[in-house]
Amino acid sequence: MGLTGLEIYKHLPKTNCKECGAPTCLAFAMALASGKASLDACPYVSEEAKAALDSAAAPPIKLVKLGAGEHQLELGDETELFRHDKRFFHPTGVAVLISDTEDAAAKASAFDELEFDRVGLHYVTDVVAVKCDSGDGAKFKAAVEAVAAKTAKAMILLCEDPALLEGALNAVADRKPLLYAATADNYEKMVELAKAKGCPLAVRGKNLDELAELVEKIVALGYKELVLDSGARDTSKVLADLTQIRRLAVRKRFRPFGYPTIAFATKEDPLEEVVQAGVYLSKYASIVVLKAAKKEQLLPLLTWRQNLFTDPQKPIAVEPKLYAVGEVNENSPVYCTTNFSLTYFIVEGEVENSRIPSYILSVDTGGISVLTAYADNKFTGEIIAKAMKDADLDSKVKHRKIVIPGYVAVLKGALEEASGWEVMVGPREASGIPKFAKENFA
Amino acid sequence: MAVEILKEKYRSKVGEVVLGATKEQGGTRSHTITVGGESALPFLHFEGAIPNRPVIALEIYDMVPEDWHPCLEKYYGDVYADPAAWAKKCVDEYGADLVQVRLRSADPDVKDSSPEDCAATVKKVLEAVGVPLIVIGCGKAEKDNLIYPVVAEAAAGENLLLGVAELENYKAITSACMAHQHNIIAQSPIDINICKQLNILIAEMSTAMAGRIVIDPTIAALGYGIEYTYSIMERARIGALQGDKMLAMPMIGNIGHEVWRTKEANTSTEEAPGWGEQEERAILWEATTAMAYLQAGMDILVMRHPRAAALIRKNIDELMQDNSY
Amino acid sequence: MIIIGERINGMFKDIAKAIRDKDSAVIQDWARKQEQNGARYLDINVGPGAADPVAAMKWLVEVTQEVTDLPLCLDSTKYDAIEAGLKICKRPAMINSVPAEAPKMERVFSMAAEYGAEVICLAMNEEGIPKDAESRVALAMELVATADAFGVPIDSLYIDPLVLPCNVAQDHGPEVLETLRQIKLISDPPPKTVVGLSNVSQGTKNRELINRTFAVMAMANGLDAAIADACDDELMAAVATARILLNMDIYCDSYIDVFKKG
Ligand code: SF4
Repeated sequence: MGLTGLEIYKHLPKTNCKECGAPTCLAFAMALASGKASLDACPYVSEEAKAALDSAAAPPIKLVKLGAGEHQLELGDETELFRHDKRFFHPTGVAVLISDTEDAAAKASAFDELEFDRVGLHYVTDVVAVKCDSGDGAKFKAAVEAVAAKTAKAMILLCEDPALLEGALNAVADRKPLLYAATADNYEKMVELAKAKGCPLAVRGKNLDELAELVEKIVALGYKELVLDSGARDTSKVLADLTQIRRLAVRKRFRPFGYPTIAFATKEDPLEEVVQAGVYLSKYASIVVLKAAKKEQLLPLLTWRQNLFTDPQKPIAVEPKLYAVGEVNENSPVYCTTNFSLTYFIVEGEVENSRIPSYILSVDTGGISVLTAYADNKFTGEIIAKAMKDADLDSKVKHRKIVIPGYVAVLKGALEEASGWEVMVGPREASGIPKFAKENFA
Repeated sequence: MAVEILKEKYRSKVGEVVLGATKEQGGTRSHTITVGGESALPFLHFEGAIPNRPVIALEIYDMVPEDWHPCLEKYYGDVYADPAAWAKKCVDEYGADLVQVRLRSADPDVKDSSPEDCAATVKKVLEAVGVPLIVIGCGKAEKDNLIYPVVAEAAAGENLLLGVAELENYKAITSACMAHQHNIIAQSPIDINICKQLNILIAEMSTAMAGRIVIDPTIAALGYGIEYTYSIMERARIGALQGDKMLAMPMIGNIGHEVWRTKEANTSTEEAPGWGEQEERAILWEATTAMAYLQAGMDILVMRHPRAAALIRKNIDELMQDNSY
Repeated sequence: MIIIGERINGMFKDIAKAIRDKDSAVIQDWARKQEQNGARYLDINVGPGAADPVAAMKWLVEVTQEVTDLPLCLDSTKYDAIEAGLKICKRPAMINSVPAEAPKMERVFSMAAEYGAEVICLAMNEEGIPKDAESRVALAMELVATADAFGVPIDSLYIDPLVLPCNVAQDHGPEVLETLRQIKLISDPPPKTVVGLSNVSQGTKNRELINRTFAVMAMANGLDAAIADACDDELMAAVATARILLNMDIYCDSYIDVFKKG
């Protein structure tokens, strides 16, 4: 939404001189708000009003890029508070923290391996954060270089002494790391550094008020590649601050908060840290930083990120193919369903529960569910028969029986004709599969 | 620069449901537990009241579970065969706010235990622990409809949370809850419209029951469609706060049950080295699922692994800290 | 959109008689009936014939509040009568109404600020009702800016673009709908909007059909409230349905009942 009539009116001279062609400043403001007039028509409008109008046209949250090349991450540019209203666009960057007082190279190599494959998707831990705990410029620089040598992924450099930071930054400036952080004490120098190297800059306030103030000062210095940190570290307070930053940016177009955010998990226990990071990931952080770095710790977090950032309008699909559940052999039963992932995984879970190794043929329905696909003619006897052929079912099993979902019992005839197989009508709900299997295949 | 904090003004709030009854109230629980009552989105204390913290139930079966992962044996193995001891362990050692008894043995394909046997088990568990109980059937509607009246009567006065009512099968359980004054779980298949309709149908049978409903939106585990339920819960909760009374009920989810069916919880470290160590992975799979549902407004989390429950209890402790401006 | 029940109005003969006879049963009966059928506010108007409008308003407020918790919409051109009602309202009420005329705005907005009341603002001034949407919106803007200056929250204002009977002022229809849309551009949060629904069908045949057709059209243009006959079942069903189609309520099979029960 652009500027409202009342906001525009507040910027007008209120003299009702009529030079713009409108009878009053009020009428002109409304004409402007509804897009029927242009600000140029009023010769008396202030520069401030013009600036306010310009910024209203910008997206509510700026897109900020972290890193360079193939591992570059896009942050921010979100428009919603709830994924069901449209979707969340830019998945939270998950960053693993490495201190310059530990074996940075070793942790960096371990970090670089934090990539996962599940349900046909590839998950990546995308950012590595190197922190200057030593207070020693040479040590920090060495750690940053060691990490950069082990991983090509995007970096964050945490060091609030601009002089120390500069030394390390010079070694990896082309990686366009995020510089953390400008504060009330160092922001002028930090902005200079960020500007000179073209790096995004994190801004930390002691609270929301100070953060907004600091952002305005930095913007006044001409720098806008920013990432926000309200300074809060208690879980509940961080949740509140991240919510306010997002709300004020999206709903009120509050410009100082129109940037991506960063949040830090603080728990010592890595499991607690993952849960805490999960809260921040759920509620609006553009980057979460945590120390936990084991596979079993990151996989759940990255899975939640993948789930949260899917497009709710677009049904997600599994690859349409023949899946084997358990130790299948040539006598194993064959079920068929659609490739809507939720349907598929539920069927898969119940087939597993039946404890009878089986095949599931996931038919390409464009990722929609059984009944919708049937109604859309995407789940017909012919289509299923073709999928059976493509999957070479004839050579996979000796028998010639396939189970179809109970809701589409009407397909039995058509499928038998098209495939030449015997069609068994399964239960309507997947939860009936174990019983069905026990009765028919045990 | 003073930032103008943006607080939502909601018209309404989530109803409160009291679980359990003490001696004075006609039951035998040592205390009651109240859930719901929120007048803000989850943990946004700055714009409304979160009068009751979300609670954690640990789940038990009325028989030795056939399919629980071996890693759970060191926690429950010694009590699997004795539901009363199992419940007691959940409360005494693992700090469960509530215990959920699943009458699995009643399943005609399992042991086909009689309604009377089920009632006896529930009685034993009631004697063993002082916390309020959740009791759910075996999941086969025909059989469950025989169980509800018997269990409801045997536990009369205890103010159970009894489940589950479904759109196709809600009358028997609603009648049982009405007759013996228990609370009811209304379960809808990841469908907000059916969720609302079912609540209406139950409320039509008895207006008193409208204030005793706990919504089970049917949850999915992390990685298995969690985002569908998450969004439905967010929508339902926003609807409730905006004045939709037929969605203004506390919400429950069987997290342990769903998570421990997943590959990620069960696959051994050796089989999936790329996924890390199995038990810790499973614990975090369960805790992350619970964490997400807390953010969507879940009030009762039914969990399985004691360590996952402990992690979530800590998370709730932290989230319940005031964050007013 | 919500319905402000219009029935407790001295223009109706039974209400005028009840006011004269102090027969509270008639008033209370209408209050209950409207509430049960889905009204969210009750309009209270002593009518043109009341001997002592202040006393009549007080009495109506009192007897209505005995049977309902709904907020009231105090409807009078006599601001003393409204103020007398505001003093005894148990819940924040709505003032019906004020035009964009300086002395009236001053009186009403200071009263609204004092009692925390909502205000129905008429898009007209001394010169009458403008025809085109732009002029109506400009008047709305003036009302909003003045209310804001008096400290009345903008989202407690209900702008009435003023609906005229479709048989005599057909050309106003589209202008009113356009006005409803543009009012949402005035501020953030925007003021709310209201219409006196039965005006649109005044003097026509098919009154109820015209009323409910206009109601759903206006809702599609952002209408927030209508002063209307809450006992018109077809109207209430149409409103409930439009709320579903506009994604304002979550669908369920019993959505009409749910809307009525609120
Ligand atoms: S030209 Fe400017 S000052 Fe003059 S009436 Fe138009 S808006 Fe107002």
